Amino acid sequence: MTVVLGYDESPGADAALEVAIDVAKRFGEPLRLVYGAAPPGGLGEEFKAHRDALTEMGQHATSHALARAQQEGVDATVDVVSAKPAMALLRVADECDATVIVVGTSGESPIKGAMLGSTPHKLLQLSTRPVLCVPAGD
Amino acid sequence: MTAPAPEQAQLKADAIGFVDALVIGLAATSPAYSLAAVIGPIAALVGVYAPGVLLASFVPMMLIATAFLYLNRVDQDCGTTFSWVTRAMGPWLGWIGGWAITMTGVLVIGSLADVGVSFSLLMVGADGAADNTWIRMPLAILLILLMTWICVLGTDISAKLQNALIFGQVAALLIFAAVAVVKALNGSSPLDEITPSLSWLNPFGEGGAALSSGLLLGVFAYWGWESAVNLSEETTDGASAPGRAGLWSTFILLVTYIAVAFAVVAFAGTEWLTDNADEEEFVFAEIATQVMGDWSWVVLFAVATSAIASTQTTIIPASRTGLSMARRHAFPAKLGRIHPRHHTPDVSTWWVAAIAIAWYVGIYQVSANALFDSLTALSLLIAFYYALTGVACAIYYRRHLLESAKNLFLIGVGPLVGSGLLIWLLGLSIWDMSDPENSYSGQSWLGVGPPLVIGAGIFLVGIALMLFWRSQDARYWQERPGVADPDIVRGGKSAISDPDGLEG
Repeated sequence: MTVVLGYDESPGADAALEVAIDVAKRFGEPLRLVYGAAPPGGLGEEFKAHRDALTEMGQHATSHALARAQQEGVDATVDVVSAKPAMALLRVADECDATVIVVGTSGESPIKGAMLGSTPHKLLQLSTRPVLCVPAGD
Repeated sequence: MTAPAPEQAQLKADAIGFVDALVIGLAATSPAYSLAAVIGPIAALVGVYAPGVLLASFVPMMLIATAFLYLNRVDQDCGTTFSWVTRAMGPWLGWIGGWAITMTGVLVIGSLADVGVSFSLLMVGADGAADNTWIRMPLAILLILLMTWICVLGTDISAKLQNALIFGQVAALLIFAAVAVVKALNGSSPLDEITPSLSWLNPFGEGGAALSSGLLLGVFAYWGWESAVNLSEETTDGASAPGRAGLWSTFILLVTYIAVAFAVVAFAGTEWLTDNADEEEFVFAEIATQVMGDWSWVVLFAVATSAIASTQTTIIPASRTGLSMARRHAFPAKLGRIHPRHHTPDVSTWWVAAIAIAWYVGIYQVSANALFDSLTALSLLIAFYYALTGVACAIYYRRHLLESAKNLFLIGVGPLVGSGLLIWLLGLSIWDMSDPENSYSGQSWLGVGPPLVIGAGIFLVGIALMLFWRSQDARYWQERPGVADPDIVRGGKSAISDPDGLEG
């Protein structure tokens, strides 16, 4: 059993990180930080350059979060997955039979989230596990 | 720290279904927009032989597409001209290739948005508004901004919608062709109809000069088709879904183009087409109205959606090439920025839009026809970067050309012949355009035709920028050309990302 956290450097992600660390500590479970590095917009020209840029960004972003979690004494690992964020989270969650998936929401309007397919929105529709949505702090 | 390398995101054959692959192949070419843009000028140039010229244009395209296919095999995941030419022929040509490919995108966006807005207005019957620059231009700019914003948000919601639209487009075009041919055959065309004949498939019917101008436009019509070939490679088994889809999309494209060309020529007759040649894509709108009557909105809708969808699908590759160049220090690093939340290269995307809008507005100040002159200039750029890619393929694979007859023809001779054809077309049309009489606006800029000034101007600006950037940051210019990894070529191992470790 594991707590899975979707982490990038977006505004909601830090609040979600704090909550995920808290949940992992209380349950005494390991934490997996997941970053989905597949470019939006599908395949096509110079797809690789875009994916490499995202992978680099993911490793950079998650390294800070990883340090933060380990400092709190949580057994944390990082997965930079070549899939779009929602799919990456679902895949890792299935792999480790996660207790809960934690994601940050950045306070966008529900209609915008539904229309544009935000990650929390997709997860709530697709996940077979509990999803914990953490609103960004002020 | 445990940050394992990401699993290799190879495209998996089963990840792309038959329909998806079919759509990608067709959508990248945007058949309705391409036909609307080129059918008028081609028919005016070669008369009844328009179907033949469209068929013949496919030949250089197909030869160059094999180059894309083989280059994609050694440098995986859809690198394009910039990455490949740099690896095969070094940084100078690579930079210019990347510049050409980005500028084709930037140049065509304005015209796509313009056509999208015009045909939408024609569709709802606002013909007056479609003719009024001051209504059309702000709407087109809004459309570019909206599409750019969608690209920055990186949304994928439109995928399903686009699938439906692309099939709608092809169906609308084929219905249009069928109705037009029937009306031409039973003599109910209000114009001067002629009976179709198989001899129209002869590309040489109108002589060499007309053929070469027609071919350059024809190549523009197939521009983008190489993505269908790259996809079909995702499986080596040609009988499986994506391979079949690649073949099918080619077949559908050829049939649609040739059917529409037959229909337009048969329905309108060559005289009417020549008389109306200066109307450019509106020839197609006019004929659609004549053929379909009250149902003409179906064809107009097909062209409008095709143009609007391509506005978006053109912004993405242009901004990605910008990103790729920035990551290799060939452009300022700022252009390589990725939006932390949307995961898209936002800076280069907005730059593409800004230049596209500036270009679109600027060219309109010069003349309404200058937009079409810029399309002709665009085919020069396309021919240039396709030719460059064909040569790069033969050079990158030079040690493997003599290994088998298949290698020699598919990797060496084919792409080189394709490049040769395109360079020949390029030379002929430069010669042609040096006479201002031959441009759409009929104006003279610096004593030659506007398209040549535009085309040459873009290269000169590119070379100036390249020299400037070379003086600012020489890191990219340290890259040295290499050859294809023999193990990958012979199938001993699969390709890895960044084979030469050049991308940092």
